[in-house]
Amino acid sequence: MSNVRGCNLPDDLYYLVEKHVWAKPLEGGVYRVGITAVAAKLSGGKLAALTVKAKNIGQEVKQAKSLATLESSKFVGPVPAPLSGVVLRANEKLVADPNLAISDPYGEGWVAEMQPTDWENEVGNLAFGAEGIAAYQAKLEAENITCS
Amino acid sequence: MADDKVMIIMTSGPDTPRRCATPFFFASLAAAMEYEVTMFFTIDGTLLLKKGMAETIFPKEGGKPVSAFIQDALDAGVEFLACTASTELHDMQPSDLLEGVKMVGGASMWQIAEDCKTVLTF
Repeated sequence: MSNVRGCNLPDDLYYLVEKHVWAKPLEGGVYRVGITAVAAKLSGGKLAALTVKAKNIGQEVKQAKSLATLESSKFVGPVPAPLSGVVLRANEKLVADPNLAISDPYGEGWVAEMQPTDWENEVGNLAFGAEGIAAYQAKLEAENITCS
Repeated sequence: MADDKVMIIMTSGPDTPRRCATPFFFASLAAAMEYEVTMFFTIDGTLLLKKGMAETIFPKEGGKPVSAFIQDALDAGVEFLACTASTELHDMQPSDLLEGVKMVGGASMWQIAEDCKTVLTF
């Protein structure tokens, strides 16, 4: 886990830095995806809802397109997909407690699981490892974003 | 009928501030869900599009002005259409309207409504 400008950013995730979302490989080629601590901060710190569009389940969502929506008193906007893939399931715990995505964005607060459809071509768009964290840090510095 | 188009018809205006945030919020949300969103302003809703007006209306005391909700919706890509007849009702000129707002007749509303999956009215 790296701490960048007060934002926790695990080293073992693939990040779509522009959209503040992550993907993590599970077994069987499935990827778990979610929002980063940065997105949690930018959304105002307290969510009213985090909803995976029901019609997306079983369908392909393209990279950077809307997978889910975030609602807070300060913000309403999409949770973009970090990769193109078929949405296998949504994290049902978020229905009862959307703020898991704020308090534990890389654990209990994951958003959905996806089966990638174009991973080989898209992995190059994702930030990963020490280099990836450095790229994410550069963006946070350029936009003067902190999580503290 | 398009599967991805929705419309919000906004009739509430400055006399009912508490009715003037949620329609924009819902529009932004629909855009975040990748619907193509049109807001059609008529009756008193059109007054919200008058330059300088929305900055003075607060749905919640101490909260954001309506102009902030409007900006969020515009930033999300929501299209704003003002009913021509309602601008006449309020003696508004096209130059009184916010940048980017198009004026259309009532028949356009019907055609868009027919093409939309969902139409909400506030």
